[in-house]
Amino acid sequence: MSWKLQSDRPIYSQLMELIELKICSGFYPPGSKIPSVRELAQEASVNPNTMQRALSTLESDGLLISNRTSGRFVTNDESEILKLKKKLAEKNVAEFLQMMSKLGFTKDEIQNAISKSYIWEDNNGNNT
Amino acid sequence: METILKCSNLSKNFGNITALNNLDLDIPRGKIIGLLGPNASGKSTFLKICNELLTPTSGDIFISGYHPGIETKKIVSYLPERTYLNDWMKVSDIVDFFNDFYSNFNKEKAYDMLLKLKINPSDRLKTLSKGTKEKVQLILVMSRDAELYLLDEPIGGVDPAARDYILDTILSNYNENATIIISTHLISDIEKILDYIVFIKDGSVVFTKSVDEIREEHGKSVDSLFREVFKC
Amino acid sequence: MLKKLLKYELKATARLFIPLYAALLGFAIINRIINPFSIIESSASASMKTIFAYLSLTAYFAIIVGIIAMTLIIMIQRFYKSLLGDEGYLMFTLPVSTSFHITSKLVVSLVWTLTSFLSTVISIFIIINEPGLISELPEAFKAFHQILGTFGMVLFSLSALLAICAYILMIYAAISLGHQFQKNKLIASFGMYCVLYFINQGIIAISLFTFGNFYFEWLVSSNGADMLIGSSNPEIFELNLVLIFYMIFTALLTAAYFLLTNHILKKRLNLE
Repeated sequence: MSWKLQSDRPIYSQLMELIELKICSGFYPPGSKIPSVRELAQEASVNPNTMQRALSTLESDGLLISNRTSGRFVTNDESEILKLKKKLAEKNVAEFLQMMSKLGFTKDEIQNAISKSYIWEDNNGNNT
Repeated sequence: METILKCSNLSKNFGNITALNNLDLDIPRGKIIGLLGPNASGKSTFLKICNELLTPTSGDIFISGYHPGIETKKIVSYLPERTYLNDWMKVSDIVDFFNDFYSNFNKEKAYDMLLKLKINPSDRLKTLSKGTKEKVQLILVMSRDAELYLLDEPIGGVDPAARDYILDTILSNYNENATIIISTHLISDIEKILDYIVFIKDGSVVFTKSVDEIREEHGKSVDSLFREVFKC
Repeated sequence: MLKKLLKYELKATARLFIPLYAALLGFAIINRIINPFSIIESSASASMKTIFAYLSLTAYFAIIVGIIAMTLIIMIQRFYKSLLGDEGYLMFTLPVSTSFHITSKLVVSLVWTLTSFLSTVISIFIIINEPGLISELPEAFKAFHQILGTFGMVLFSLSALLAICAYILMIYAAISLGHQFQKNKLIASFGMYCVLYFINQGIIAISLFTFGNFYFEWLVSSNGADMLIGSSNPEIFELNLVLIFYMIFTALLTAAYFLLTNHILKKRLNLE
């Protein structure tokens, strides 16, 4: 997964979002150790202090757990991760709905569009 | 936070031209800082004063408590905007040269980077392209375990791929006690590696802000803000 | 640090000088083998042989002229390029004092000036096929010693060295002064050389006029002078007085040029 950053929003919040995504997608499974600040900063080509800020915020959110001697881990608490997934899903759906209503779709039309979507069918592996 | 570089009321005149006008700066250790400003805003003049290549007309400058001189040159690693490589050495000779004169030079690191950038140590400096020369100089400068790195337009003349490698090099060699000051006008490529940015114009500081502060307050990239502030 | 600077300065210049000296000595040997003088003397008409003899001699003299010119050019070029050109960014950010930079250039220039002189003399010895010449050297040395005395010999060598140093530093000072100009720095350097030269001559003239007599009278009348000079031979004594005066003068000049160059490079350096 790449570290694509936009240039008009704060970097640390974008880093947080990307790490959240990595946790939700299982790239960093629950309980696993994540790379050091330095390594992550280098991976994302960002300032280490900015990466540090993103990680600390995720820590205070309860998604990451820091161990003084052995580094940083993803939380073992699956409910936290589920909560995050829900939060992100709601956010994405809201954005999607907002966009669709801008395009002039009604609620029914949106539902219709979703059920007809090729991507949806592909992802479910059937062609009806 | 501990200061590595401090200057107060620093001015430099060349005849009637004022290059620096009462510049005040206080730069802590352990930061990556962008020195941003349009052409002829005083960036290079400031960096030259830090390296004792110019003597200030008035004002004070201290690096780790010393005026620029032999003591500061031991701990400052400077990349000028010029290529300063002579025409008679091989790449390996200039590595030895740095190793001889700087006790904090790390030879293995230098050879490692040369290998990664596919530069042959037995090539003559004379035969290198301009871009390769810039890479060699950056390698020499970053192979020192310095306390203050002063990089004047480090990504000016190299291609985008090498630019990425250079940013990578800067990040991977960065240590918590060292400060890096990067002077540039190509801000969009480097803003994400900076702690904060010092905007200078006509030889004085306009403002000092972190990249995220700028993005939060203005809702735009440093690059676009730069274009706005320094609009012609 | 001075040692390291000297090492690199020698390396940078040796690759230019060594081939020149090799060529000089090589041509001297060639000339000795074919012996062009006797060929030219013995043949009345222009044959291939005589043309070749002339060519070989011309090449030899061209190399001598070349060595003299190169010694001067490299001296100027090394100072200008490696301290005031782009390479200055490298040299002046080394943790080394400015006076070490000047000293290293000076010492190496001095070494090459002496080596150029020496290799030219050696090449002449090679060409002149005169077996007795080398064995007569100690005789010449003895004669020299008789005129000057031991102290005078030392004085003479020292003043010669100092004179070369003063000359080299005068060139460095002229280049540094010329570099203070915004434009036409090389022409300005040459102009500054002329200015320094005239000042130099002016000071010599004035000091000979005013202090010269006074100084000699003082030395002759004081008893300490005898011990200082270490010779009771009146001729040697007077000659050495002149040498001492000259040496003090050259030493002052050397110091002045050194300090001037050092001040400019330290306080008024402005690389492009």
